[in-house]
Amino acid sequence: MQPIIDAKDLVHEYSQRDEEGNVTGINRALDGVSLQVEEGDFIAVLGANGSGKSTFAKHLNALLTPTEGTLYVGGMECGDHTKDLDIRKTVGMVFQNPDNQIISNVVEEDVGFGPENIGVPTAEIWQRMEDALKNVGMYAYRKNSPNKLSGGQKQRVAIAGILAMKPKCIILDESTAMLDPGGRKAVIDTISRINREEKITVIVITHYMEEVTGADHVYVMDSGKVVMEGSPREIFARSHELEEHRLAVPEAVKVAMLLRDQGIPLPEDILDQEELVDAVENLWIQR
Amino acid sequence: MIRDITIGQYYQGESLIHKLDPRLKVVGVLVYLISLFCFRYVIGFLVAGLFFVLVLKLSKVPFRYVIKGLKPILFLLVFTAALNLLWTPGETIWRFGILNLTKEGIYKCIFMALRLILLIIGSSLLTLTTTPNQLTDAMEYLLGPFKRFGAPVHEVAMMMSIALRFIPILLEETDKIMKAQMSRGADFESGNLMHRLRNMIPLLVPLFVSATRRANELAYAMDARCYNGGAGRTKMKPLKYHSRDYKGYGVLVVYLVLLIVVTRTVAI
Repeated sequence: MQPIIDAKDLVHEYSQRDEEGNVTGINRALDGVSLQVEEGDFIAVLGANGSGKSTFAKHLNALLTPTEGTLYVGGMECGDHTKDLDIRKTVGMVFQNPDNQIISNVVEEDVGFGPENIGVPTAEIWQRMEDALKNVGMYAYRKNSPNKLSGGQKQRVAIAGILAMKPKCIILDESTAMLDPGGRKAVIDTISRINREEKITVIVITHYMEEVTGADHVYVMDSGKVVMEGSPREIFARSHELEEHRLAVPEAVKVAMLLRDQGIPLPEDILDQEELVDAVENLWIQR
Repeated sequence: MIRDITIGQYYQGESLIHKLDPRLKVVGVLVYLISLFCFRYVIGFLVAGLFFVLVLKLSKVPFRYVIKGLKPILFLLVFTAALNLLWTPGETIWRFGILNLTKEGIYKCIFMALRLILLIIGSSLLTLTTTPNQLTDAMEYLLGPFKRFGAPVHEVAMMMSIALRFIPILLEETDKIMKAQMSRGADFESGNLMHRLRNMIPLLVPLFVSATRRANELAYAMDARCYNGGAGRTKMKPLKYHSRDYKGYGVLVVYLVLLIVVTRTVAI
């Protein structure tokens, strides 16, 4: 089966211009990114600020066009703008700031906005709105104003707005960056359940390592390049390398790493606090 | 303080007025606003005021909610009232320098104030009971004939609805920036008018920068959700007249007739 996303040597350059419009400098935000995503996967793209991860995400939605290289989304090539709408129907995107992506004053109308744009018949829009809001657990708030919701709730409404368009793939472009820990967890739990139950491909773009533990495959980006890839366990085992790429390793992983450096024989693939406690307990018993 | 502004806010509800067709409500408000300029005697306000109270009661929007909308124009209200009160030529009651209180002035002052108040609260009732999207739909429909001349009706309607959606967000942001600047010693409350205006700069610059950034992000978000202008769009809530809407038009006509009859027969 062909991958839903297929990027080859993707390059994107932002040019800086002076007041007369002459190019004064070129900023290479993406520098030869190649990666493939299979349908149904849960993918995480990790990267610090300025690593190019958001620029990459915007390509997947045809919001930006590649300077060099090729990108196929659902078998359609990005670049000629004739396919933009079809690409956006295939890949939905949730952005960082919840306030700047909700366009209506009523939750249900906002969820209906996407389907309206792609010409879904009225009765079906209502059905889709209901399904999508129930799916993210926000159906009780359908008549509310988004201004009265918390950040996490607003992001779930935004996810419902994308779900209602029935895409094959959903991208969260740092959608949890402005949320408190509770809201962050609610959003990540919702999106992983959607991935499992609806078989929708999910790509999470983030710099919080805690959010990638449930992913099938993790890519780490730095200065526009993919510098590491593998399963979360493989990635976390290389915690020294992660720190070189300006990524904050989760507390438990960091403690395990420091203990290993001290010569304590802990396994290298510890992901969270629970596993760390178990591993330390095991060592204790072995003694 | 700044969060009290209720212009363009929607008050959630399930009342008869909320359910009416937005086209009826837009036409109704327009007719109502024009009607306020069509009589010369104070008695007209009795009819207009009663009609407003009737609609308000039906809409179940709390009265204090509507009154809150008057706060931002309080200054304008007092200013116009004072101007009319003290500078209208006519039968003098009291005189001090250039100030001239006249009988006609008092009458005109009451007249202007009532008219302004009804104008504001009358139109705020429209936005309080109609969601921006419905409002957009209604405007798009009513301005539909202009599409033939190439007017960007859908785009303008969409812009208005988004502007309404962002009023509370930008107000909150203004409040935040104000507090941030005040905590660093900015002063927005003392000094003369020029001084105060100049002090607004550290408030306005960050506000404009942030509004531009928001607009950019919103454009991305709308693109990502396949927004492509009005062509080929379906409606989640298509406009359809029900029998209650025809009755609504009937009530509007009754109001107009009553207003004309009363103001023609009773000259107070």
